[in-house]
Amino acid sequence: MNTPNVVAANWYRAAFERVVARELADPRHRLPIEDFKQFVRQQNHSGRARRLALTAVDRLDPKFGPTLIPTLLDDREFRDDAVAAVLKQGVAAQTRGDKPAAQRAFQLAFAHALSPDQVTAAASKLQSLGEQANIVEHLGLITDWSVIGPFAAPGMTGFRAIFPPETAREPLAAVTQTDKKTLQWLPAHASDAFGTVDLIKSLGPTDEAVAYAYTVVESPSDQQAELRCSADDNLSIWLNGEKVFGRDMWLNGTRFDRFRTPVHLKAGQNRVLVKICQGPHHRDPAVGNAWTFQVRFCSADGAGVPLKRMPAVESTLRSKPFEKVTSGK
Amino acid sequence: MRGFQFQFSLPALCIAASFLMLAAPNATHGDNWAGWRGPGGNGVSHESGLPLKWSSSDNVAWKTPLPGMGVAGPIIWGDKVFVTDCDGPHQANLHVICLARDSGRELWHDQFWGTSPTLHHDTKSSMATPVPVTDGQFVFAFFGTGDVFCTTVEGELVWQRSLASEYGAFENRFAASSSPVLYENLLIVQCDHYGDSYVLAIDKATGATAWKVDRPGYWHSWASPQLVPVAGAKSQSQSQFELVLCGSEKLDAFDPATGRKLWTVDGMLRECIPTPVFDNGLLYAVSGPKGPTLAVRPGGRGDVTNSHVTWSAIRGAPFVPSAIVVGPAYELVDDAGVLTCLDATRGTRRWQARLPGRYTASPLAGDGRIYFFNEDGVTTVISSRADRYEMLSQNAIDEPIFATPAISQGQLFIRTPTHLWCIGQAARPKRSTEARPAGGSLSVR
Repeated sequence: MNTPNVVAANWYRAAFERVVARELADPRHRLPIEDFKQFVRQQNHSGRARRLALTAVDRLDPKFGPTLIPTLLDDREFRDDAVAAVLKQGVAAQTRGDKPAAQRAFQLAFAHALSPDQVTAAASKLQSLGEQANIVEHLGLITDWSVIGPFAAPGMTGFRAIFPPETAREPLAAVTQTDKKTLQWLPAHASDAFGTVDLIKSLGPTDEAVAYAYTVVESPSDQQAELRCSADDNLSIWLNGEKVFGRDMWLNGTRFDRFRTPVHLKAGQNRVLVKICQGPHHRDPAVGNAWTFQVRFCSADGAGVPLKRMPAVESTLRSKPFEKVTSGK
Repeated sequence: MRGFQFQFSLPALCIAASFLMLAAPNATHGDNWAGWRGPGGNGVSHESGLPLKWSSSDNVAWKTPLPGMGVAGPIIWGDKVFVTDCDGPHQANLHVICLARDSGRELWHDQFWGTSPTLHHDTKSSMATPVPVTDGQFVFAFFGTGDVFCTTVEGELVWQRSLASEYGAFENRFAASSSPVLYENLLIVQCDHYGDSYVLAIDKATGATAWKVDRPGYWHSWASPQLVPVAGAKSQSQSQFELVLCGSEKLDAFDPATGRKLWTVDGMLRECIPTPVFDNGLLYAVSGPKGPTLAVRPGGRGDVTNSHVTWSAIRGAPFVPSAIVVGPAYELVDDAGVLTCLDATRGTRRWQARLPGRYTASPLAGDGRIYFFNEDGVTTVISSRADRYEMLSQNAIDEPIFATPAISQGQLFIRTPTHLWCIGQAARPKRSTEARPAGGSLSVR
């Protein structure tokens, strides 16, 4: 079952479950339970196969799983289960009035939590004990930006249209449009705990338009990272002048970690330019037209990579001019 | 049985009569509930003696716990009930479960891994939202993870497809919810999602693709395909049915045998959840909230927005529950419980009433009644007479109802988040003898 091919894995699983069911029906079964336990512990095996093996072990040694799981805080397959178990331990300690034990448990849970709900839960628990948890750094969220727009893009042409912020050498130069109206870069900050920036708050409501967001992040070293992003309606991203992501989709929502792509962050300053398209309005005028985006840099398992973030204004002043924009994806 | 069940209204008897010749070898099985909203996919049963009163403790034949989460209603064939479910991380562990119809005892239980779980609603959807479908020989289960499984009715895996691996991971805020349909030798799956949408016809015997039609731009759809009989389909080159799909802002019809596009109607809203229903020679498609019902005459070609839309009415549009049509009454319950009855031939308002609670499950009809299932577990039963609102009973169970129930052999099968309930006496009912707007049940090869 150690295969990424889910179809093949399901055929193996069907056979495995038949064998297990047949053996369990016999009180003198010959299931190699200790081998199953070893298989569960070994991270080099497929996560779903390990979980299936654990299911079989649970039937014969129900104490094995509950004992093992809380120790698997860095396990690719069982991390969420382990964090949930540790959170539960923290709640139990809190209930019995053991604040130090609760605090240790919640700190441990927060340090290993990577799913938004568990990060939120652990941070909230720490906060209830008077301790702050930095979700932004923990997940590598980029929360401070300079934004400019709207650039008119009727008929959902925005994704392919090129506006001055994509080509200008000065990254934050004001843009005078053909109607003589000048657009300025404005500071924008995430409006929720997970880095979602609401462009309507910065630029006002609009339909069928494009906005750009710009920031600079400092990496302590050359490092590989995953760029994870999402937008309503769609987004394209340039890193140090190179287009690293773009997806021509419309009428969608900003959802955490919706898109991901591997990137290289160089030591020192890295310039990030994001283009966010806004689609047409719903046929019902009463339905809102959201215009939001979210960006983060993290490791492959979702933990934030080390970065120094600069406030929008500071990054604006200190960043170097754009190099010539290269085409991308 | 190789075909699927279908039902016809009296105005369509001329069509039905011609089909009877084709259907005779595989007819009967009228008491089965083989897929989403039963025979014909309209939510209408032709049985009598259906339960009128029950509670958590009264008139309950059995109640069986289900392992995880699911919003897919059950299906029933003969002495077996089939239901899907999901659990585990991201709900990617998928279940196909078979219970004995007379006792609720588990007969077999298959589990599979899903390829690509998506986001889902907390209560109204899950990876197990699409209702499975059976032809009595095989069970076909489609999941929001982008996987299709075919098992025998005895639980042996026959084939599987990972559509998410083949054509791209599903992207969905509320999980794919479209229930597949069977047409002749094909299983037809509507895969509209935020990625690359498409409709796929799979050879039900082998699992091979028979045809695939891409649907760029149809991202906000959770509706199920509907097969609609076509009046005057006489030539061998013309199928006797149209495959109708609701998608973002459009209603499209295809030849179910080939996937050839037949006609389109503009005017749906961006998000389409209810499945269209057919009766009186008209297809009724609704999208909401606040969207129109479009009553469309099948059989057109090209853009038939101006030529085949018999009427359009805004009143009463639900967001989630599908509508129901019983003869001259076209009834919609919106998510907040406002029940609207429109004249099925003209779209004019007949009456309106307020039902208790909120609604996700779609209504069912049978035995001169219409059943409305609210999210608090209360079922309001009303008379199906079109001229006025007449409540017959209200029945509460102590679990919420989000899945559309099923009717079979005089019993009502209600799936809640934790259990499958069988309501009513197990005795096989007699066929209704009263005049009814929808005619007999038959199957087509």
